[in-house]
Amino acid sequence: MSLPTSPLAIIALGLALLSAIIQVAYLILRPPLVRVTKLWLLVGLGILPIGAAFAGNVQGFEATKERAFCGSCHLMSLHQQDSDNLASLSLASRHARNPFFGNENCYVCHADYGMFGTIVTKAGGMRHVWMNLTAYRGVSLDEAQTTIHLREPWKMNGNCMQCHSTLDELWLKVPDHRSSLSDLHAGRIGCASAGCHGLAHPFFGPPSQRAR
Amino acid sequence: MATRRAHRVLVASCICALVALALMTWQLFDPRVFPVIVAMSVGQVLGTASFVAYLYVVIVDLRAHQRAEKESRKIGVG
Repeated sequence: MSLPTSPLAIIALGLALLSAIIQVAYLILRPPLVRVTKLWLLVGLGILPIGAAFAGNVQGFEATKERAFCGSCHLMSLHQQDSDNLASLSLASRHARNPFFGNENCYVCHADYGMFGTIVTKAGGMRHVWMNLTAYRGVSLDEAQTTIHLREPWKMNGNCMQCHSTLDELWLKVPDHRSSLSDLHAGRIGCASAGCHGLAHPFFGPPSQRAR
Repeated sequence: MATRRAHRVLVASCICALVALALMTWQLFDPRVFPVIVAMSVGQVLGTASFVAYLYVVIVDLRAHQRAEKESRKIGVG
């Protein structure tokens, strides 16, 4: 638990505090239900809490992009530790050291892009939460490594290509890139696979697939 | 609506709103999966319910005033 520092969180807290003061004052004083009381309650039960909820929700959505949020499920603790490790050479950790990814590296690589990308990503996230609470609640990390897998692995190349466009001449000069271009776009070969740039999370997966 | 009942509804509404605010601010201090989901579901539902209860009291009170005004006008005309 930590003190919130972002402006939105502070605004949400301020609005919630003002609203709480009005509500507590009503509970203690119990004033007659005249126009002034109704107006005060409109502010204390309507305007301020709606403002607090709006600011809090936006702040909450932002928090769901953070690596610490993803790592708060026990199954993702190894992934978080690896990304936090400055000495790690995994693809995920190397990208986390890039300011564009930074503390949001899980989200930047695993988000769906496009017009409804954020909504689709959040809906998919709810599925993860559901799976974590039901199927994986008491499952150990060792056990989980043999069953957790990407649901749509063919989509991952598209996310790599958000930055690595595959259109650059230098990129196309690499023979392996040129020869595998159509397979990459079709999702038949993964950028982050053992034969190419290595697994993004080489420490995770069934023992046979883990990098040594 | 009797004044006592209106106050009871408003007290319940204030308590609901206080719980909702507590849940909504919890996620700001502890942005993990459970607090964030609770804030965005239970917190929102309780907050909305408290505001709806307040609106209910105000509308019922307004209607009662209008009815009383109409009746006093009728008596005045008669």
